[in-house]
Amino acid sequence: MIRASGVTCRYGARAGDRSDGAAGGDAPPDGGSATGIVAVDDVTLSIPDGEFLVVAGPNGSGKTTLVRTFNGLVRPDVGCVSVNGRRVEADLVAARAAVGMVFQDPRDQLVSATVGGDVAFGPENLGLARPEIDRRVREALAAVNMTGREDARIDALSGGERERVAIAGALAMEPDHLVCDEPFTGLDEPARRSVLDRLRALHRAGTSVVVVTHDLRDVCALADRVVALSDGRVAVDAPPEVAVTRLPALGVRVPDRYRPKP
Amino acid sequence: MTLSYVPDGSPAHRLDPRSKLAVQVGFAAAAYAYTTPRGLAALTVVAVVCLRLAGGGPRSLWAYRFALPFLVAAPVVAGATLGAPWFRVDRAVETSLASYRVLLVFVVAAAYVRSTPVRDSRAAIQRTVPGRAGAFLGVGVALVFRFLPLLRRDLATAREAVAARGGDALPVRDRMRLVAVAGINRAFGRADRLGTALSARCFAWNPTLPPLAFGRVDALALGFGVGLAVVALATVV
Repeated sequence: MIRASGVTCRYGARAGDRSDGAAGGDAPPDGGSATGIVAVDDVTLSIPDGEFLVVAGPNGSGKTTLVRTFNGLVRPDVGCVSVNGRRVEADLVAARAAVGMVFQDPRDQLVSATVGGDVAFGPENLGLARPEIDRRVREALAAVNMTGREDARIDALSGGERERVAIAGALAMEPDHLVCDEPFTGLDEPARRSVLDRLRALHRAGTSVVVVTHDLRDVCALADRVVALSDGRVAVDAPPEVAVTRLPALGVRVPDRYRPKP
Repeated sequence: MTLSYVPDGSPAHRLDPRSKLAVQVGFAAAAYAYTTPRGLAALTVVAVVCLRLAGGGPRSLWAYRFALPFLVAAPVVAGATLGAPWFRVDRAVETSLASYRVLLVFVVAAAYVRSTPVRDSRAAIQRTVPGRAGAFLGVGVALVFRFLPLLRRDLATAREAVAARGGDALPVRDRMRLVAVAGINRAFGRADRLGTALSARCFAWNPTLPPLAFGRVDALALGFGVGLAVVALATVV
């Protein structure tokens, strides 16, 4: 389980630091000052094992910053986050192994030249034995329908394939929770379907999945719960069928059938 | 064609990266020791064979095209004088040979890069150089090879973005400034994101390295590399 208690994150005074894409590297080094921009404001949240949670909200609402506190990429200025009962900061490696993260742009995440090398990167960093690494790579690639593509070059992959390799890289850590930050951005329809199918299969297999998005159309049917942020605060925390009625007002796209009549 | 590993089943791909590093070092030493036309002609054959054994060809050298103008210009600059006789052929010839030597080293380097995954290079370095120095070097090599193609792509994108809005009509100096500023900004952003990605994936200085093993063919390659180095040393001693 991931538990965030009273989490507040601030960034430096520059306006650009607020955006989701830039979040993560500009937290005040002194643990936070009273000044700066509040990206996440007093958020308390629990994500049970096996849940499919959607974190929704418009650009700059603090979604990415919030999920990055789950594995210690962003340290809260106030409050704390624990994963499986342990404070994230007490053991960053354990937290990062337990919470796999797929970034908004997979190109930022893929660090090797080939698919196999990249998927093996995380387990190698954990210092696992070679046979165990090979097993994890095999299974992670199978989970994203890329069996036998170990030697494929990363820069020759399509956007959808890169996204799937990024997911495989996170899965190879055998995380309890998989966090995907805007996983459908820039993907065409077949690629979106493919990634969605993979997420559905992973969730069915027992992995808890957190999807960050400003567009609920793809994931509404899969979600167990939707948490929507607005100005860094939790504005909605409800099952999808309840949440969708309130999300358009926050700037989140919802399936057509829920869209309010003009 | 990019400066990166290309999966293949060539003879060079089957070699241990440490053998290939030995050949590279030996070749570079020989290239600096034998700068006569005859010596460079022999080394040309060696360099071409190395590239062919890695499954590469002239296209593999495309990534080095940015260095070519400097290699071509160097003899001209070296030969030019401020007064009579205005151009000294002997100096130009000497520098031409040096430029050509650098080109040959590039050819062998291209063979290495084409046939060696970055993580294998990292493993080879960390196993050859012990301790923190090896770890630091290994990570450095891995990051440079990961980062350089992205940086080049960012610069190309910045150049296209400038051109797309009519910027190609600007003077060269202005275009260079625009592309450089955008490129540096992107490089810093890229470095930030890469750092975050490495953290998220539990980056470790001493990870489980890929298995490396010397085979029979490696004995040939190692012997050849050491032989080149010895021959080069013989000219100094």
